Amino acid sequence: MSLLELRDVTRTVIPPDQPALTILNGVDLTVESGDRISIVGRSGSGKSTLLNLLGLLDMPTSGLLTFDDRPVKSYSSAARDRVRGAQIGFVFQQFNLLPGRTALENVAMPLLYAEGRSFWRRKKLAADMLEEVGLGNRMESMPDRLSGGEQQRVAIARSLVRGPRLILADEPTGALDLDTGSSVMQLIDDVATRTGAALVTITHDPAIAARARDHFRLDRGVLTRAESAELAAESGAVS
Amino acid sequence: MRRAFTSLVGAVIEAWQELRVHRTRVLLSLIGVAVAVCSLTTVVALGGIVQQANQELSERQSGRPASLFVSAYSNQGTAIDSATMDATWAETLARYDITYGSRVMQTAQAVPFTTGVVDVQTQAVDQPYGEMHRVRLTEGQWFTDEDAAGLAPSLIVNQIFWERLGSPELRTHPTVELGAQGGRPGTTAVIVGVYPVGSYETEPAMFMLADQLSAMTAARPSAVVQDPYGGGGSTRYEMWVPPAISDQLMEVVKRDFSSALATPGGGTGGIQVDVYRQDYAQYGDDPFLVTKLVVGGIAVLVLLLGALGLVNIALVTVKQRVREIGIRRSFGATAGRVFFAVMMESVVATIAAGAVGVIAAVLLVQNPWTKDLIGQGLVSDFPPFPAEAALLGLVAATAVGALAGLLPALVAVRVKVIDAIRY
Repeated sequence: MSLLELRDVTRTVIPPDQPALTILNGVDLTVESGDRISIVGRSGSGKSTLLNLLGLLDMPTSGLLTFDDRPVKSYSSAARDRVRGAQIGFVFQQFNLLPGRTALENVAMPLLYAEGRSFWRRKKLAADMLEEVGLGNRMESMPDRLSGGEQQRVAIARSLVRGPRLILADEPTGALDLDTGSSVMQLIDDVATRTGAALVTITHDPAIAARARDHFRLDRGVLTRAESAELAAESGAVS
Repeated sequence: MRRAFTSLVGAVIEAWQELRVHRTRVLLSLIGVAVAVCSLTTVVALGGIVQQANQELSERQSGRPASLFVSAYSNQGTAIDSATMDATWAETLARYDITYGSRVMQTAQAVPFTTGVVDVQTQAVDQPYGEMHRVRLTEGQWFTDEDAAGLAPSLIVNQIFWERLGSPELRTHPTVELGAQGGRPGTTAVIVGVYPVGSYETEPAMFMLADQLSAMTAARPSAVVQDPYGGGGSTRYEMWVPPAISDQLMEVVKRDFSSALATPGGGTGGIQVDVYRQDYAQYGDDPFLVTKLVVGGIAVLVLLLGALGLVNIALVTVKQRVREIGIRRSFGATAGRVFFAVMMESVVATIAAGAVGVIAAVLLVQNPWTKDLIGQGLVSDFPPFPAEAALLGLVAATAVGALAGLLPALVAVRVKVIDAIRY
């Protein structure tokens, strides 16, 4: 049973007074639990649109998108939001922590949309998660008092606090230096391994992409499988 | 059900966090709402006081609802015996157990002041008149049974009268000579009370008891002079009865008076008896409708201005919060939840501001300085702060919060999540 599957997915938009623009064209991708997938692509290649679809934030124009083998089209909008909240965790390039809230409040935020014990014990769960990413001593710190690496750790804790089965990392090291980026990727890898979650990393950095087991390249809306050696070579050329 | 409950609690927590984080902005926007609600509540409450002042003024002039007036006249132009009229009046009051009834006679009495003798406009009334016409005194008290039984007539004089005497202490029982002329002594009367005057009054005036006037007139017919204001002559008979039975009473009182004044032969002998209402509520319509509409119109305008300010701030705020809304959506906040949270934030804030506005309005309206300014000495029963004004203030604040939250909430749910996050 696949966690997420895209079959011949196309996404077209119609800009005002212009002909239809195909952003994604015939995309096929299967994500299973525990997968480590990287998708590389230049700016404008359709990465954001693909991220929207993988995160159930958008619907394909044509083709099939399923989550847990169920067509996403059959979900209501609210149900899709709930599935996303419970099953998918986002890690963003710019961290996107909520300003004015402590690290603890930021990590507890997704649990405000949970139910039952997760909702009522959100502070405890958030504190445990911050301990897990090594920020037990910064729980009451505001985002602007944290370093870039610490902010990304808080963001990782936030994306994992509801125990998602799929982690979508969008340029997770884009705003970090090389060493910090490497340790953050290691952390994401470790946590994903421990929880058994699938990790899909969207990046333009071949070195980050090379850490995954399955590699894809997105070019002008077309997704193709890339070989590890190819990425490793690019990574070497970049570094 | 459990999901709805956790959603509600979650939305309140979100709203509270939002208010806490953006407290400066919230405070600024709330000042506008609090001022608007305070203005609305104050205007409505002051409108109530003005209405009460108008009502009391009307009641002083033409009686409280329902005031019935009885008059009788002869079609042949002959005078109707006042003793018969008085007796019939007394019988009628007793028969229908009417507590509040008074004769009213307009006369004038010559009163010597230090500046000379002045013909003072005099209203001779019965004891219940003070309650019936809300006569308010600044000194002393309205006629008592003791005053009625006194040998010397009692007087309640207006402020101008009292000041012309040098504002004597009433506990010293100041007296004046009524009808003193050409060295002949007049009738000594005792001043027992002083009533305030309106700004339009410039002459001394007074009340005395009708029975005491009759007794004085009988003893010294020359004491009464022609009322210079044209009120002299006939006696007016006035009763204050429950409005619900006023129509019925008008019929039976007319019948009783017609019967009592009938000639021995059985006919009415050309005597016409009229019983009619003259109080402000006689036509059943709300006589203060215009006042209410004007006050209401001003209040709505004030509130609309406050609401516009709030909507403006709320819209700008949501535009600034697009990224945050996008982040929340990506972590599972449904569109409904975002809508509810933004609305809740606005409503919670405006309810708090509304409460502050209402408290400020109560302090503003109920302080003695405002009462003096608005009442202008005309209001004796100052109404308590109207509960409906306070309620209106809170309801208006909630409605403004919901309205002001609606537009931003609609903007919030239309946020495209990934665009917002990458924005």
